[in-house]
Amino acid sequence: MVEIRSPSVRRGWSESTRARASEIVKQYPDPRSAVMPLLYLAMAEDGYLTDNGMREVAGAVGLTPAQVRAVASFYTMYKRDDPGRYLISCCTSISCMLLGSDEVLRAIEEESDVTAGETDPEELISVEHVECIGACGGAPAVTVNYELIEGVTAEKARELVRWLRTARPDAIVGAECQELFGGRRSFDWGPFDRDSALGPYPAFGPLGTVSGPSEDQDG
Amino acid sequence: MTKPVTVTINRRLVNAPAGELLIKTAQDNGVYIPRFCWHPRMNPVGMCRMCLVEIQTPRGPLMVTSCTTPVSDGMTVDTTNPTVKKAQEGVLEFLLINHPLDCPVCDRAGECPLQDQTMAYGPGESRFVEEKRHFEKPIPISELVMLDRERCILCARCTRFSEEISGDPLIEFQERGNYTEVNTFPDEPFRSYFSGNTVQICPVGALTATPYRFRARPWDLTFVESTCQHCSSGDRINLQSSQNRLLRILGVDSEPTNQGWLSDKCRFGFEYVASPARLTSPLVRDKAGELQEVSWGEALDYSGKALGEVISRSGGRAVAGLGGARGTNEDAYAFSKFLRSAVGTNSVDCQMDDGLDPRLLSAIVDRARIADLESAGSILVWGPDLKEEHPTLYLRVRRAAQELGAGLVVVHPRGTGLDDRASVKVTYQPGRGGEVLTELMDGNGRMAEAREVLSNGPVVALLGRPGYGESPDLAEATAAFVRSLPDATILPLARRGNVFGALDMGLSPALLPGRVQRGTLAAQMLADRWGELPAASGRDCRGILEGLESGDIEAVVLVGADPVRDVPDGELARRALEKAGLVVAIDQFLTDSSRMADVVFPAMGFSEVEGTVTNIEGRVLKVNRLTPGPGQSRPDWAILSDLAARLGVDLGLVSAQQISQEVEELADIYRGVNWERLDWEDRDGIVVSGDLGYVPVFSHVASVSPRPGEMALHYARTMYDDGVMTRESPSLRPLAPGSGAHLHPADAARLGVGEGDSVDVTSVSGSLRAGVVIDPTVEPGVVYVPFNQPDTPSLGTVLGVKVSG
Repeated sequence: MVEIRSPSVRRGWSESTRARASEIVKQYPDPRSAVMPLLYLAMAEDGYLTDNGMREVAGAVGLTPAQVRAVASFYTMYKRDDPGRYLISCCTSISCMLLGSDEVLRAIEEESDVTAGETDPEELISVEHVECIGACGGAPAVTVNYELIEGVTAEKARELVRWLRTARPDAIVGAECQELFGGRRSFDWGPFDRDSALGPYPAFGPLGTVSGPSEDQDG
Repeated sequence: MTKPVTVTINRRLVNAPAGELLIKTAQDNGVYIPRFCWHPRMNPVGMCRMCLVEIQTPRGPLMVTSCTTPVSDGMTVDTTNPTVKKAQEGVLEFLLINHPLDCPVCDRAGECPLQDQTMAYGPGESRFVEEKRHFEKPIPISELVMLDRERCILCARCTRFSEEISGDPLIEFQERGNYTEVNTFPDEPFRSYFSGNTVQICPVGALTATPYRFRARPWDLTFVESTCQHCSSGDRINLQSSQNRLLRILGVDSEPTNQGWLSDKCRFGFEYVASPARLTSPLVRDKAGELQEVSWGEALDYSGKALGEVISRSGGRAVAGLGGARGTNEDAYAFSKFLRSAVGTNSVDCQMDDGLDPRLLSAIVDRARIADLESAGSILVWGPDLKEEHPTLYLRVRRAAQELGAGLVVVHPRGTGLDDRASVKVTYQPGRGGEVLTELMDGNGRMAEAREVLSNGPVVALLGRPGYGESPDLAEATAAFVRSLPDATILPLARRGNVFGALDMGLSPALLPGRVQRGTLAAQMLADRWGELPAASGRDCRGILEGLESGDIEAVVLVGADPVRDVPDGELARRALEKAGLVVAIDQFLTDSSRMADVVFPAMGFSEVEGTVTNIEGRVLKVNRLTPGPGQSRPDWAILSDLAARLGVDLGLVSAQQISQEVEELADIYRGVNWERLDWEDRDGIVVSGDLGYVPVFSHVASVSPRPGEMALHYARTMYDDGVMTRESPSLRPLAPGSGAHLHPADAARLGVGEGDSVDVTSVSGSLRAGVVIDPTVEPGVVYVPFNQPDTPSLGTVLGVKVSG
């Protein structure tokens, strides 16, 4: 008989995450339309997209896990590998590139000793280059754990890496990083709506961390 | 009806229905346009670009994919000009960038659309010198299917089949761009009941079937068309053999029945034919009580003498017959004639205690045809889980609901494969179907919405017995009510391969060949040919088994019947066969039942005999012979004919074809149905009608509940079980789900058990230990146990069982 991989140990989502998922599903006329936001939720839950996460998404929208994985594997920003504690994403699209993002990325790689697309052995820092993250007005832009820092220079980027190494903050707060390592901002991003189900990925986690919702947040 | 349009294809005017796809119009008019992704039974996607043709538009010539372009009036198409030729060469050159040239070791070589179309339309040479992409060579994606991603040309036929047709999309495109591949979810294999179809429609050797890989080359195969005998849908198949060994079955696209698709049970469940366990010689029990091989003469003499003694001592009534639904109509006719004219008994039953009235099954008024599903306004499915028991019928219902817009009402004691396409799904506790029917009739309660859906005619109702806990009267009462729905037709469900043919040949106490009831004028005419018919009314399967147990019936003839494993109350069958004075078995295997026989005759079977079968809608289809029977095995009819001769009666049966002619002469409804027609112009079969017009009788079906402390048992069949044909097919045997106790989460919590724990399920007639499966689709208070699983005893036709942790 043919050897077939047997199902891995399954760890389901918590009740609160499931409730969150069903709220998101309700916002679409056809449940399967909610696949992409739910994949963000799954990433927020586990830090990256796990098989369990994709299986939960499939259950929530009535697709098979294979169909969900088809969507997830099409898009590079759904991470299917466990990143380090801090994921530094450096935009290398046109605006950022014209304003020096190549130097910024090289500085990050040198200072962290991590090539783009990889993670250090300590699993502390992952570096990647990404396509446009929608901050052209504040180029060159970098995100750390999806929290935005605009107007970064090569020197500031090195400082950022050193800071992550030494300070090892529990949570990355965009505004704080912007103050420490950012430069010119595109515009005032306004108050942070962390309960919006339709928002970008950070909306699913407290203050942009990837560790999932926590209880000590104020609404 | 759409207005026909006129199209010019390669400077020739052709007519076509408006809106038809250009590729199909061309094909129907003798112009073959090469293609990979387009399949006539699936929606077009235009992915492979192979079917590019040039059409004339007001803005000049335009290249279009003919598989996504509907014909329109005045359209001018060129499929062969230099532009098209260049496009075809370009597409093939691209497709071959990554396709390995491993044809010499590829199973598909010789029947490969990519190979054939490259030869016919390809450029001959490739300009690409780059390294091809590499994947791990074939990986198993299920027990039955292997995937070679290097060979895949990404046409999406398999993924579209699994989403559109079978509704279990366990394979999908993964990754992107140059890395795109078809694959499953890492730990969820492609365990689909229909996975073999993807192998058949794969235009390259990317998907191969484990049971066939490396067994033969296409040019070594001998083949013949036939009909599948695993279920009663009458699926048309192509049997293929090499060196007298059956190696492969492919689906034949037959419009009225399977439309090209097959279940895996039908496709791979042929291995038993060549099983080493097949009987090759007659067996007779010796003085020491052991079955010993003997010559045909000895076995016939022995059983003729023993049967003769029973008949002369206690009369023909003391003999009964069971089975006959597994063979051909010719074999069933011989069995019927043997019992009625040589033995003199009406006690015969081919349904083996599935419980429905034979007149309801084969002679009901307003009997639906499968094709009625295509034009149905709404469909009611209240019977066995179609996906488990009538797989290709399941695909037809699915198509009607999904593609053709029919409303679908599914009533079943648990989740079924059709639920995701059902407009209304009602789950209920077994035994309380009567209440559900009342609600349906009144259009209130759980069935209010269902009644609304079913007001949309024409209504097609597929009715049967959902499980053995359910009263068989429920289906008849439902049928009686359904007749009041707009333009309603009814398709009664029974699963055994040729059960409808066997009923038409008179293998039931009440019916004689040709759906003739005993005591009618037609029956009198039959007596003119058969001699005096037995006067005493016969017993059905349950009656026969009880009669054997009590001694009222002394001898039983089993034809392809294994009541110990196959009857819901297997223990009753075991006791019956133990008490029986004489058991004569005609079988292909030593089953749990034939092992208890006094004489066993080795029978030929599927792919070894020629004949006809009758499917669920009364369609007569031909089965053909491709391989020789093992050892000294013989066809059922010949064995029965010789046995009759030992009783001093000449049945007058000479050959299967002569029997078919006798049936044609004798049974009015079979007039004009002959092998010549079925072999040639009517390969899709001939529907025999002119029914008895049996009007289902409404009776109030009382709801029953299990006793306090008991749970209601839903006891129903699965596609793969411990039936001998599955058990003796090595590829399918491991797929039987095994015994399980499906419990609602609330009941599991009450019993303090979780998934994988074991519980004892105990009924009055048996007890088994089964692993718990948490199944939210069953109602609280219900336990679902799959019927006839390997190494599990039978629970019997009971409603209440005790479940304990």
